[in-house]
Amino acid sequence: MSRRNLFFHRFLMALPLLFLLPLLTFWLMHLVPGNYFDSLRMNPQISQATVAQYEKLYHLNEPVLVQYGYWLKQLCKLDFGYSFAYKQPVLDILLSRLANTVLLTGVSFAWAWILAVFLGLLAARYPRSFLNGLLEWIAYGALSVPNFFLCLLLLYLAAAWGGLPLGGMRSVAYESFSGGEKAVDILRHLVIPSFVLGIGIFAFLFRLMRAQAREIFEKDFILYLRIWHIPGPKILFKHVARNAINPLVTLLGMQLPALVSGAALVEIFTGWPGLGSVMLQAVRAQDLFLVLGNMVMVSCLLVVGNLLSDILLLIVDPRIRSGKGGPS
Amino acid sequence: MNSKCYIFVLLLLLSGPVSGQAAKSDFFDKTLVLPIATEPKTFNVLVAQETSSAEVTQYLFEGLTEFDPWTWAILPKLAESWEQSSDGLVWTFHLRKGVRWSDGQPFTSRDVRFTFEDVIFNPAIPNSARDIFTIQGKPITLKIVDDQTVEFHLPAPFAPFLLSLSQPIIPEHILENSVHDGTFSSAWGLGEKPDRVVGTGPFKIAKVLPGEKVELVRNPFFWKKDVDGKPLPRMDRIILLIVPSQENQLLRFLDGETDLYVLRGADYPVLKPLERKKHFKIYQAGPSLGSSFVAFNQQPRTPWKKKWYQNRDLRRALSHGIDRASMADIVFNRFAVKQCSPLSPSVPFFYSDEAPCYDYDPKTAKTILTEIVGFQDKDKDGILEDEEGHPLEIVLVTNTEDPTRLQLAQMIREDWRRIGIQVHLLPMEFNALVSKLTVTHDWEAVVIGLTGSSEPHFGANVWLSNGNLHFWNTGVGNKTYIETKVDELFGKAAVTLDRDKRKEYYDEWQRIEAEELLLIPTVLPEVLYAVRDRFVSVKPTPLGGPFYPIEELETRRS
Repeated sequence: MSRRNLFFHRFLMALPLLFLLPLLTFWLMHLVPGNYFDSLRMNPQISQATVAQYEKLYHLNEPVLVQYGYWLKQLCKLDFGYSFAYKQPVLDILLSRLANTVLLTGVSFAWAWILAVFLGLLAARYPRSFLNGLLEWIAYGALSVPNFFLCLLLLYLAAAWGGLPLGGMRSVAYESFSGGEKAVDILRHLVIPSFVLGIGIFAFLFRLMRAQAREIFEKDFILYLRIWHIPGPKILFKHVARNAINPLVTLLGMQLPALVSGAALVEIFTGWPGLGSVMLQAVRAQDLFLVLGNMVMVSCLLVVGNLLSDILLLIVDPRIRSGKGGPS
Repeated sequence: MNSKCYIFVLLLLLSGPVSGQAAKSDFFDKTLVLPIATEPKTFNVLVAQETSSAEVTQYLFEGLTEFDPWTWAILPKLAESWEQSSDGLVWTFHLRKGVRWSDGQPFTSRDVRFTFEDVIFNPAIPNSARDIFTIQGKPITLKIVDDQTVEFHLPAPFAPFLLSLSQPIIPEHILENSVHDGTFSSAWGLGEKPDRVVGTGPFKIAKVLPGEKVELVRNPFFWKKDVDGKPLPRMDRIILLIVPSQENQLLRFLDGETDLYVLRGADYPVLKPLERKKHFKIYQAGPSLGSSFVAFNQQPRTPWKKKWYQNRDLRRALSHGIDRASMADIVFNRFAVKQCSPLSPSVPFFYSDEAPCYDYDPKTAKTILTEIVGFQDKDKDGILEDEEGHPLEIVLVTNTEDPTRLQLAQMIREDWRRIGIQVHLLPMEFNALVSKLTVTHDWEAVVIGLTGSSEPHFGANVWLSNGNLHFWNTGVGNKTYIETKVDELFGKAAVTLDRDKRKEYYDEWQRIEAEELLLIPTVLPEVLYAVRDRFVSVKPTPLGGPFYPIEELETRRS
């Protein structure tokens, strides 16, 4: 199969996913009794007729499949529908917060990935070093401490010692800052949430990278390279790295959706104005179309992410490029 | 090594204080920074359903009248004065002269007509205001006399009418088009340009950052002046910061970033010693308006349980079985009071302290259960059985969102266990619970919160037998004697304009409800506010919030 065909094939395989995931979401949301407007029923000043009028307006009184049909019809016109709570187009709400979430998760992913790969290689190269021992402990700690707890702990420390902002994305007086001050202000606000989000990813990837790299180190070809007097760093960062990184690249694609959906808890605890907290609220309040819009976005990212990691794999692993299996 | 140096410098840079903060102290002095837990969803005050939206719109819009939470009087606001006909059916309002919208346009009776006729009574716009102004099934009507005079014609006398007119008025010149092209419900969303959201209130919107904050600045056209003739409001700016987690709200308050923190009982011993050091003051505003009740389905699916729950003596025993003092102690850290009447003591004027109270007394409870109701523990397993041998097991549902309510439900389970009743606690999401209560009716007992207001009539949907929140007895044709009596009292109180006479009706109603215990009251938490100490003459109330009236709020320096 040629490369272009491979991608096309993959893409076709993924298409049904884009329709099935929202349908599944629709169905799951209907398993939960009640709908968004039920909470209005508990307001003594809103009549039953008003609630019914709302339900009719959004076809909530019809069967699930009919509702799905209405929604798909809208979607064909690239209309994601209205959010019940915000009374605004879903797309506007998603877009207004997407950038904030991607900034936070992007920074967290970036530092976690770069450090994990780099330190993982070093730790594999020097398994008996102090560095390896220290990192081992950090990774253990990061994997076993719950995210929200670490987040609260850091916030309390920051409150006790001062220096770092305790939440939000910008200072109250942000508008009066100069350009440079603004950038520093956002960076300062990023420190705690991106650390908390990144440390778990770092720990997981670090251990994976180290284990992979260690395995490669034991391969015969490393011995050959050494015999040919290839310099140590070159062996480490070129030959070992390239061979060890495959599973991480596959993971990268899988993690792309987490860029928009993986930060809800941290966002809530640090008051970061992102998508995660909006989504959590939307799911709890059964703000149907907002949840669906998010679902479509996440599943698109999943598809794109997988394609992306396929492409990346081609770049880093020549064996896949030639279509022949390598030694294993 | 070099890269490590960079990282170190970067860290230093990040942890250092931002320069120029001292110079901005004047900015901060005239700025009120308030935390809100959930983000406002819309600025459209007529279609907004959440309190989070009201937290912003209360500063932007005004009604014809205003309720004064201190004196309990109805004050003139956009209306300067009013008269009523002797039968209470025609009310003439004289609008305040010289009031302008925040874009400088004059406010006239056309805006009042627009708000009521084009929006509230527009069948295409679902809104809850319509339900308030529909009296005995008929809408009120308006007649515009001139630019400054409006006549309201009521289908029947309506005692809370003046209070209802605190309904915010919206500008015709801005929203007219959206009504005509059918987009009113989505007008004034979060993405709206700030200068398009126009009100007559003391503040107007300056900036909205979704998920982050809403910044309000003083409305230069605000009509009100202080006693010295100086323009109001005194503050320049209100910043509403969206801070979803309570822990984070507390940290940021202690850090000095925000000016208000609404305390939970458990926060009090932590915060009280810090008052001086962290520059704030804690105010105890009084018992909250709303609280949690236990209710029993009068039409449960299981036939023998119907007999249980419809038995007033059983409900009385259960009320005796609730240890409210421990609830106040454990859940609210002693900042709660026992509730007896269906109304809160913070409800002005109408609250009656003569409603019977039920002290915690497991012995009496057990005696009532065994001797009056006739339950016995025949198999000696610690759980009572009824005459037919069914063990006394109750499924108690509640919602998970509010941790204190869940705690209350857990305590009730333990308390009732002690008087020989097995309670199965079933927490669920709020929407699911509401759907059980109001749609499927598939429930036995519930711990539920009901919000209160300053006017008992606004709870009519809960207490009237045909009210849509009368969730414990919804079937048709099974109106009880008690319900007939309550319907009658509410009906009379709604059309009686004499306030003392109304109080008599509502006193009678409170006595009946406290005797019948269809809703068993629990405890009312105290409302506690911690406010930055640079603000002077702060007099918080549960009805008016921490800063009423916001336009007169001032700091020590100003």
